[in-house]
Amino acid sequence: MTISLAVPDILVARARAGDLEALEALYRAFETPVYNLALRILRTPEDAEDVLQETFLEVVRSIKQYRGEGHLWGWIKRIAASKALMRIRRNQVRATEELDEESTGGPGSTGGVPMQIDLERAFERLSETSRSVVWMHDVEGYTHEEIAEQMGKTVSFSKSQLARAHARLRRMLDAEGAA
Amino acid sequence: MMHCTMDDLLALKENEASAWAKQHLETCPACRAELDALYQRIAALKALPVRRPARDRWPAVRDAIRADQRRRRRRWGAWSLAAAAGIALLLLVRPSGGRVDAAELQRVKQQSATLEAELDRYDPDGRVTSGRTAALAAVLEDRIAVIDGELAQLGTPQAPVRRAELVKLWQERVDAMQQLMSVRVTRVAYVGL
Repeated sequence: MTISLAVPDILVARARAGDLEALEALYRAFETPVYNLALRILRTPEDAEDVLQETFLEVVRSIKQYRGEGHLWGWIKRIAASKALMRIRRNQVRATEELDEESTGGPGSTGGVPMQIDLERAFERLSETSRSVVWMHDVEGYTHEEIAEQMGKTVSFSKSQLARAHARLRRMLDAEGAA
Repeated sequence: MMHCTMDDLLALKENEASAWAKQHLETCPACRAELDALYQRIAALKALPVRRPARDRWPAVRDAIRADQRRRRRRWGAWSLAAAAGIALLLLVRPSGGRVDAAELQRVKQQSATLEAELDRYDPDGRVTSGRTAALAAVLEDRIAVIDGELAQLGTPQAPVRRAELVKLWQERVDAMQQLMSVRVTRVAYVGL
């Protein structure tokens, strides 16, 4: 997904002043890309919607600190990614990712009946951490250094997660081709 | 024959591969095909369909922003009230007539403080209210903020302190807070506004 979002400075200035109409315009401009980022990283649309809401509340609280350096989408994206990663950490307390990944009853299958697994489904079957790294690196263009910083991990962790995720994707897509 | 690992392929893509991997790629059609597949997979990921949220979360975001703005105003109002209370104290200790006004001022101020504490116990953001009730609460909170602003203005050179006016404003604040209390606690949708 290519994002090319130009927001007039005057709109940002009005949003900084707490103008609700300007804040809604900002919300409408970035609602879809933020939701998409969160949905690709997280498991459920509900989690993604929650992250969307949390992201914009943070944007409203912090917009006075946005000095206009860099693209506004880059700044908002960073907040959204941080909120999504925070939610993953919370989710990990409840369930281990490995169990999810190895489970045969994941989103790509139903009761043992083989299903067509396209790339999107294969991607959904990756762990949240793997999805985060793949999406942030391959789609959003983050460097491994930036991912490591956002996740509180090392650069080699980010690199190995990416390699493992691609190896899994390849295996799942091969299995689909063989079916 | 040894082939490139996924790490090698990703490193090749990033132009960070080892000399061995670069050389191997030149002579191995299978690894070239793997690298092509990696590029295609990434392109396909970028081309995944855009998803849109099923529900509009803006109303919830907007309500939270409004609640935050009201809280800020009330916090500002509390500081202003502290200043106004200082002025009122000066009036009370001043040896002049109007004991009735002074006693009344103290009474309404006490009443206002009690209501303030009661209102704080009812967290409006954590409760479900109808749109009409929420709008009514917003109007009342705005009215209280305006009164707080007027109280803060009293005592400035442009608006010298008049005790009767002070009592009247505090009384209006108490009335508005009582109405707000009714809205919050009983969810009434009409308070005569």
